[in-house]
Amino acid sequence: MVFIFPFLWMISTSLQTFEETLAFPPTWIPAWPQWINFVEAMRAGPFLTYARNSLIITFSIIILQFIVMIPAAYAFAKYKFAGKEIIFALVLLAFMIPGQVTFIPVYLMLAEWGVINSLLPQIIPFMANAFGIFLLRQYFMQIPQEIIESGRLDNASEFKIIMKIMIPMSMPALATIALFSFVSHWNDYFWPLVMTDSAQVRPLTMGIAMLRETEGISNWHIIMAGNVVLVVPILIVYLFASKQIVKAFVYSGIK
Amino acid sequence: MKKALSIVLLSMTMLSTLLAACTSGQPQQTTEPKSNPQSSTTAPTTPTGAGGKTTVQFWHSLGGKNGEYTDAMIKRFNASQDKIEVVGTFQGSYDETVTKLQQAVAAKTGPDVAMLERAYVQLFADSEVLEDMNPFLKKSGLSKDDFTAGLLGHSIFNDKLVSLPLNRSTPILHINKTMLDEKGLAVPKTWDELNKVANALVIKENGETKRYGYSMPYDTWYPIAMITQAKGKFFNDANTSIGFNNGEGVKVFKFLKDMQSTGALYYPPAQDSGNIVNQMFSSGKIGMMFQSTGVIGSLTDTAKFNYVTAFLPMDQVYANPTGGANVALMSNSKNKEAAWEFIRWTMTDPQGGLQFILDSGYLPFTKKMVESQQMKDLWAKQPNRKVAYDQLQYAVDTNKHVAWTQVMQEFNKAIQAIMYDNKNIEATLDTFKKETERIIKK
Repeated sequence: MVFIFPFLWMISTSLQTFEETLAFPPTWIPAWPQWINFVEAMRAGPFLTYARNSLIITFSIIILQFIVMIPAAYAFAKYKFAGKEIIFALVLLAFMIPGQVTFIPVYLMLAEWGVINSLLPQIIPFMANAFGIFLLRQYFMQIPQEIIESGRLDNASEFKIIMKIMIPMSMPALATIALFSFVSHWNDYFWPLVMTDSAQVRPLTMGIAMLRETEGISNWHIIMAGNVVLVVPILIVYLFASKQIVKAFVYSGIK
Repeated sequence: MKKALSIVLLSMTMLSTLLAACTSGQPQQTTEPKSNPQSSTTAPTTPTGAGGKTTVQFWHSLGGKNGEYTDAMIKRFNASQDKIEVVGTFQGSYDETVTKLQQAVAAKTGPDVAMLERAYVQLFADSEVLEDMNPFLKKSGLSKDDFTAGLLGHSIFNDKLVSLPLNRSTPILHINKTMLDEKGLAVPKTWDELNKVANALVIKENGETKRYGYSMPYDTWYPIAMITQAKGKFFNDANTSIGFNNGEGVKVFKFLKDMQSTGALYYPPAQDSGNIVNQMFSSGKIGMMFQSTGVIGSLTDTAKFNYVTAFLPMDQVYANPTGGANVALMSNSKNKEAAWEFIRWTMTDPQGGLQFILDSGYLPFTKKMVESQQMKDLWAKQPNRKVAYDQLQYAVDTNKHVAWTQVMQEFNKAIQAIMYDNKNIEATLDTFKKETERIIKK
């Protein structure tokens, strides 16, 4: 109930009239659902463009992260090579530095490349996910060496081992990482604000921010309608991923 | 193999059905920005845009209705001539715009014209990134006297005209006149009267306050207003410390604490305080409030009672700070002439700033606007708006200092300690004074 409460309030507010949002004590059930609020919210900017950008950005990030993360985690978990500990310590270090520390140097570098104000600066800096590498390495380490050895005996290439053994066996971990990654980049506001200047390349969060009144009484019904649009994809992704995440816990319990 | 790979990628994202379409198109789409016409304008200072027009980038912080009015104004400008194309972009709140501007200036990706909250102007003026508009002003046959006097407090630094007013506001007293009339009370003009009226409005039932006398958002603006009303200054004249000794500062907070203890003052929680007090005022939970002129429009639309405005009550004198934002021309701009043309048009054309002010409810910032027929008609219809303008004759800008943003944070801490945690007023203000001196010395 505590978890659901803010959602219900958000949905309720998104369907109220302006007067109802101002009422005190608050209105719970709108007298007449105001679907027009959604139209109003969408009218405030090129919301289809925002939504398209949000999708491109988050999915590009997740896919690129997997391409970088899976081989890296595999190497850290199953290979012996010189400097492995040091490199892994560096990965953990990257995971510990907050984004606020790096955004100015990253901004200056990207400005130098001339890619500011496009989709690229919203994707490239997030290609490597240190947390994901760490989590996946732990998961890979639990997969018995014997399974990999038997794969090698059957003349499978390393690529095939990753695709046929490691990935299917670590689906729950991958789903968890994908979900975390999705939520944090889908909701990201600060980075796109800093990196972009035009509506053409901005994600949904920027569009929602524009709905807020600078001075005066905020139109909460419109803002909440925008937020419903923003949150619904997260709920959908969560529904798909939650089963896998539960499995992750069940599996680790068996061992 | 390629197909197998893409299938694996898809399944990894765990969104096989719904979002498959978006995902499979991914590799092409990530590279899209390269061929996208948008990326050709990556450097916002690109001199020419489509059709040989000079593009002027204008960064602003206006969302919601005011954002729409700003867009409409930019559209009117673009339609008024065929040489310049102004592109207005929303850059988040005033604070976020400042953050963006700071790094954009460093990376030379800044705009031509920027909206700056007036208290931040000095920060940028001091690092010399704002162009002196004096020569432009002269060339266009304008002078500083054309502007509303009370609004130029944050425009001139070291004899340079670094910004001009645009969307400016000031705090005023908003009153539920119906509530006062029921009790036969007059609109308060002094702190004493405010004290009496606010206390008379309080309704308590079973020890619970059902109605409060007055309120104000959690902000440094209102204590600063009251300090100046008590004839204090926020910074001293030498700019080495705070300018209010314990006399004025303690007086202000004692007054507020006394009122808070009886329910005469409702001091809202810090988070979203402006919206909270607005909503409580419009639903009749609060009789009066100190709040920006910026809410007059929405309160007029929503209040179901006789809603009037008045000057902030005086202690020793009438005094009030101003707020809102100015526009500045950036030194890095490659299109200063075109950018100035936009600023000039905004300041002087009836279709420019005047229309924006009429739409939004901000204060008219030039004498021409004040004298215009449209303004007079509006004031006749909505006298509440005229009160705000009239109060400008008492405007005092006391928080002008490069270190203001840091001092502001310390002042907020002091307000929190006093208003929320009932900390000793004298001791808290002493600590604040020491912190301020430490920040200024740096």
